[in-house]
Amino acid sequence: MSQNRLLAILLSVLAVLVLVVGGLSAVLLLSGGGDDGGDASASSGGGGTTTESGGGGGSDVAAAASGRIRLASSDPITLDPHLAGDATSAEYIVEIFGGLMTLDKDLNVIPDIADSVEISDDGLVYTFTINPDAAFHDGRAVTAEDVAYSLKRAASRELSSPTALAYLGDIVGVREYFFGLADDVPGIQVVDDRTIQLTIDSPKPYFLAKLTYPTAFVVDREQVESNRNWTRRPNGTGPYKLTEWRLGERIVLEANENYHLGAPALKEAVYLLAGGSALTRWENDELDVAPISVNDVERARDPGSDLGPFYSTWPQFSISYLAFNLEQPPFDDVHVRRAMGMAIDRERIANVTFSGMFQNATGILMPGMPGYVPEDLSLPFDPEAARAELAQSKYADDMPVIQITEVGAGAEASIDMQAFIEQWREHLGLTVEVRQTDFASFLSAQDRRELQAFSAGWIMDYPDPEDILDIKFHSESSLNDTGYSNPEVDSLLEQARVEQNPDRRLGLYQDVERLLLDEASWLPLYFGVNHVVVKDNVKGWFEPPMVIPRLRYVTVER
Amino acid sequence: MTMTAAQEVPYEESSAGESPWRGVLRRLVRKRLAMISLAVILLIYAGGIFAPLLAPYGYNTQDLDHGLEGPSAEHWLGTDRLGRDMLSRTLYSARTTVVVTTAVVLSGSLLIGNGLGLLAGYKGGWVDAIIMRVGDVFSSLPALVMLILINATLGPRVEDFARWVEDLTGIDGIVSSGFHSYLLVFGALSLFFWVGAARVIRAQVLQLRESDFILAAESLGASSGRVIRSHLLPNVSFLIILSVSATLGGIAGSEIVLTWFGVGVQNAPSFGAMIFDGSGARTFQSHPHLLLVPGAVVTALLFAFNLFGDALNDAVRGR
Amino acid sequence: MGAYVIRRLAWLPFVLLIVSFITFALARFGPGDPVAIAAGQIRDPEVLAQVREQRGLDGSIIEQYGRWLRDAVQGDFGESFIQQGYSVSELIFPRMWVSAQLGFLALVIIFVVGIPLGLLSAKLAGTWADPAIIGSLLFLQAIPVLVLIPPLLWLFALQFNLLPVGGWDGLFDIWWIAGVIAIPIPDPHLYLPLTAFTLPGFVGVARLVRISALEVNTLDYVRTARAKGLSETAVQWRHVFPNSLLPLITVFGLALSGIIEGALFVETLLGIPGIGRFLFEAVTSRDYDVIMATTVIFATAFILANLVAELMYGLVDPRVRLGASRN
Repeated sequence: MSQNRLLAILLSVLAVLVLVVGGLSAVLLLSGGGDDGGDASASSGGGGTTTESGGGGGSDVAAAASGRIRLASSDPITLDPHLAGDATSAEYIVEIFGGLMTLDKDLNVIPDIADSVEISDDGLVYTFTINPDAAFHDGRAVTAEDVAYSLKRAASRELSSPTALAYLGDIVGVREYFFGLADDVPGIQVVDDRTIQLTIDSPKPYFLAKLTYPTAFVVDREQVESNRNWTRRPNGTGPYKLTEWRLGERIVLEANENYHLGAPALKEAVYLLAGGSALTRWENDELDVAPISVNDVERARDPGSDLGPFYSTWPQFSISYLAFNLEQPPFDDVHVRRAMGMAIDRERIANVTFSGMFQNATGILMPGMPGYVPEDLSLPFDPEAARAELAQSKYADDMPVIQITEVGAGAEASIDMQAFIEQWREHLGLTVEVRQTDFASFLSAQDRRELQAFSAGWIMDYPDPEDILDIKFHSESSLNDTGYSNPEVDSLLEQARVEQNPDRRLGLYQDVERLLLDEASWLPLYFGVNHVVVKDNVKGWFEPPMVIPRLRYVTVER
Repeated sequence: MTMTAAQEVPYEESSAGESPWRGVLRRLVRKRLAMISLAVILLIYAGGIFAPLLAPYGYNTQDLDHGLEGPSAEHWLGTDRLGRDMLSRTLYSARTTVVVTTAVVLSGSLLIGNGLGLLAGYKGGWVDAIIMRVGDVFSSLPALVMLILINATLGPRVEDFARWVEDLTGIDGIVSSGFHSYLLVFGALSLFFWVGAARVIRAQVLQLRESDFILAAESLGASSGRVIRSHLLPNVSFLIILSVSATLGGIAGSEIVLTWFGVGVQNAPSFGAMIFDGSGARTFQSHPHLLLVPGAVVTALLFAFNLFGDALNDAVRGR
Repeated sequence: MGAYVIRRLAWLPFVLLIVSFITFALARFGPGDPVAIAAGQIRDPEVLAQVREQRGLDGSIIEQYGRWLRDAVQGDFGESFIQQGYSVSELIFPRMWVSAQLGFLALVIIFVVGIPLGLLSAKLAGTWADPAIIGSLLFLQAIPVLVLIPPLLWLFALQFNLLPVGGWDGLFDIWWIAGVIAIPIPDPHLYLPLTAFTLPGFVGVARLVRISALEVNTLDYVRTARAKGLSETAVQWRHVFPNSLLPLITVFGLALSGIIEGALFVETLLGIPGIGRFLFEAVTSRDYDVIMATTVIFATAFILANLVAELMYGLVDPRVRLGASRN
C-alpha cells in the first residue's frame, strides 16, 4: 500500500510540474517566434541545450575581432525615429538613420542627406539639395520624395507621434495635418528629385537645429509600408546598419561602407543589454567602455588605481533642478523660494552625496551651451540672508506644509534630498516632507501641475537655449512646469525667437536666465557629467554632451 | 509573507484539570530557546519604543564631515553617507517596525482571514462557496503588483484623508510618521493574504464540526453564533495564535520587500531603507557596515520570530 | 470527482474575468499612463490627448475593457508601449521561459535537499543534531534576500572572480571533449540566483517532512511492521518515508508562489531577463497590455496548480473528501 502511495505522490508532484512548465512552453511554442526578428530569445533556451553559435556567452564576446567595440546599454523603446522620445532610443537611431541635417563632433549643425541648404532672405523658406551619394543601406538613393514622405509620416495623425509638433510644428501646415484638419502639408514641397523646400511660419534661427532630431529623419517608404515589423531591421541612411537585435541580450551595428559622409573606421559595435554591473564586466574584459557609478568614482579618480589610467569625465547638456509650483502656497511668494535656495549648500552636499560626480549648477545653461556665462549666477549659500529673506515672506508666521515629490523606489528620499531637508530645518526651521512616487504617477502629476514642489531634470534636445529657456519658462508653453509667468521674460523670449543676429540673440537669453534665477522658480542643482572608463585600444572615444552620431569617429586597435 | 501550513494535528486534547492555555504556557516557558527568542524580540521592540531616550543622536542629525565612517567611540556602529549615526538610525528603524506591526494588527488582516475561515467552515453551503471562490480571485492576483498599483492610485487619496483627520483632531504626525501609508499598504495586503489563513482555519473547522460535542450542542438547539463562540473558537484559537505569530514575523520581513517596491513608509528611517542604501556589491565592498548593521538586526529579529513560532507550534501541539 | 473538477474548471473563466477587470481598472484608474513615459520629456497635453485617442486609450474604462476583452478572447494580447513594435506575447513568453527554468530548478533543489534533511532530522530526534539542523535552516530563512545577495556577489564575483556578476545564458554549457563527447555543465550564471532562491526555502520542506515522519513513526501500522520483525531500514524506507511526504503536496503551492515573489528581487539584482523584473518595470511604467497579459497568465497557472494539488491530495489521502461540506 505504501509503495503505491509513494508512486502516487511522485506522480502527482510530477504532474503539477509538467502542467505548469509544459503549459507555459506549449503557449510559448504556439505564439512565440513567428517573425525573423524576435524569435531569438525564445529558441535559445529551448530544451536546455545551447548551441555554440547561438549562445552569446563569454568566449564569443571575448574573441573580439579588430574594429569591434563592446558597449553596455539597454533595449530601445522603439527604433522608429518618428516615435522615439527618449535618449536610449535616440542613441541607436542617430547611428542607423539620418535626416537632412546632423550635428558634428563639435555640435555644429551640418548637412547630412542634404548637400546644401539655402535660406530665403525673410528666413522663412529653406531649400535643401539632396546629396547625390546619400543612399539607404540597401543601396537605393535617397530622393526628395523620400524626405517629403518621411516628414509627412512623422507629422501624420495616423502615427500621432508625441514629438511631431515639437520638432516639425514650425513648418507651415504641420499642425493642421497632425490634428487631421488638413490633407496635406503646404510647407513641404518637392521641387524636383533632388530638391525639397520647407516653409516655416516665422524666421526661427534654431529651425535647422531641430531637424537634427530623429523626428525629422528619413525612413524607407517601401519597407515601412510593406513590413509591419520593419523597426527590427530598419533600412536607414545612417553610418551604421542594424544586423542583430535580440531583446534583452544584444544589439549589433555594422558599419555602412557606403556612408555618404565617409565610411566609418569602426566596423562593428556590440551593445550588451543584459544589465548587471557594467564595471565588473569591463574589468572582466567583456566591455570596452563602462560607466562609473558613485560607488566607484573615488577609486577611478585615484590615478594609481587599476581604473585611474582609463578614467575620463565628460560634461553633459543636462540639468537637474528643484521646481516650485508658483500656483501653490507658499511658493507663490518669491521670498520663500529664494530663502530655500539660499539655505542649502548645494556644492558641498553634491560633493558628499555623489562624491562630486556632478557639476554644481551655476545657472540654467550648461557649460558649452551657446549663451553660457562662466560666472556663478545661482543663489549663493548664505543662511543669514536666507533667514532675512524668509522673514519678509507673507508666510513667515504661518508656513503651509511643504511637500517635495520625487521619482523613486526607496522608502526614503534620495540622499541629497535628505541633506537639503536637514539644512532647511537647521537654517530656516522649515519642515519639508518628501513623497516618492513611481515614474508614471510623477509624470502625470507634473504635467497637471499638481505637485507643490518636485525634483526633475532636463536633457537638451538640440544645442540652442530656446530648447530650455523658452519651452520651460514662457508663460504659454505647454511644458512650463512651474506656472512661471513674467511678461518681461515672455517678451525677451519672443524677441529671441526671431532675432537674426546670433550675439544679440544669446544676449537676450542671458538676460532671461538672470531674471529666472533671481526669481527662483527653479533651483538648479547639478549639471550632468558622464564618468567612464575606456580600454586602451579604443581611440577617439568621447561622450558628447548630447546624443549625436559618434561611432564613426571611433577606432579600435588590436 | 508566507503563512505556515499548520493543518496537521491541531492541538493536544486538554488533559483533565488543566486549561489548555495553561498547558501551552507551561510547555513554552520550559523551552530555553523560545525564551531567548522572546527576549531578543522584546529587546528590539523596546529599543524601538524607547528610541528617543536611547539614541545618542537624532536619526537625521547630519555631520557631513564624518560620512561613511566605520565604528568608533563616537559612533558605535559607524555613520552613513551623510554622517548620520547608524546606531541611532537602527533604533529609530526598530521604532518603525513597531509602528508597522501595530498597523497590521489594526488593519484587520488577521481578523479577516481567521473570521472568514471560521464562517466558511462552519456555515458550509453557499456561504462557504462564496467565501472560498472570492478567495480564489484574490489569491490568484499577483499581490505585489496589485500593491504597487493600489499604492499609486489610492496613496495620494489616503494621504489627503489622513491630513483631514489631522486637521480635524489636532493630532500631529500621522502623515509624517507614515502611519497612514502603512495602514493602506497592509490593508491592501490583507485583501490578498487572508485567503491562506482562511483555508487553514476552514479545513480545521470542517473536521471539528463533525465531532460529537458540536453535533450535540446543535441538536440541543444552540444558535450558530453561540456554537462558533463557545465551541469552535476555543478549539481553533491555537491555530489563530500560530498564524498571528507567523504573520508578525513575516511583516517585519516584508517591510524590506515593500521598500524595494517603493510602497513602504516614507519620511521615517526604516530597516528596509537602510538595507536599500547599503545593498549593492560595490557599496558592500567599500562600506560593509551600511548593510551589515541593519541586516544583522533584521536577521536576528526574523530568526527570533521563526524560533519562537516554532516553539509555540510545538507547545500548542503538546510537545 | 469528475463533476467536481468540471465545476471548478467552469469557475475558471469567471475568476479570470474578475481578475482581469480588477487589474484593468486598477491600472487605468490611477494617475499616470504609458503614453507620457514613451513620449519622453516633451509632453504637450494636446498632442498626448490625440496620441491616446489613436492608441485606443480614450473612452470610459468599461469601453476600453470591452475592447481589450474582445481582442484577448481572440488571442491578441495587444502591443507593448515601452517596447514598441513587439507584441505582448513575443515579450513575455521568452521571459516567462527563463523564469520558469530557474524556478523549476530551484523547486527541485529545495525538495531534493529539504526532504533528506527533514528525514535525517526526524531520525536524529532527541539528539542535539535535530534542533541544530532545523535551527540552521531557520536561520537561513531569516536572512532577507536583499541582505544575502550583496555579500555573495562581493565574495564570488568581485573577490574571487569565480562567478559572473549577473545575466543569463541558458541552463547548460556544453563542454566538448575531443570534439566528440558533449558534457553539459550547469551555466555559471545559475549558481547565485539558485542560491538566493533555495536557501530560504529548505526549512519549509525539511520541517514538514520531519514533523510528519515523527508522527508516522508512532502510527499503528508502522508499529505493526516493527513488531513483525521488519528491519528498521525497511520500516523507514517502506513506511515512514513515503507517508511523511504526503503533506509536501500542500507546501508545493506555497513554495511555488514564494519563488514567483522572490523572482523579482533576484532577477533585478542579478540582471536576469525574467518575467518578475519585466512585470515590475511594466507596472511602474503602466505598460497596460503587458500587465494584463502577465496577470491573467499568472492567475491561470496559479488556479490550475492549486486545483491539481487539491486533486492529488484527494487521490493520495482518501480521508479528504473533495468539496467537503455537509449539505
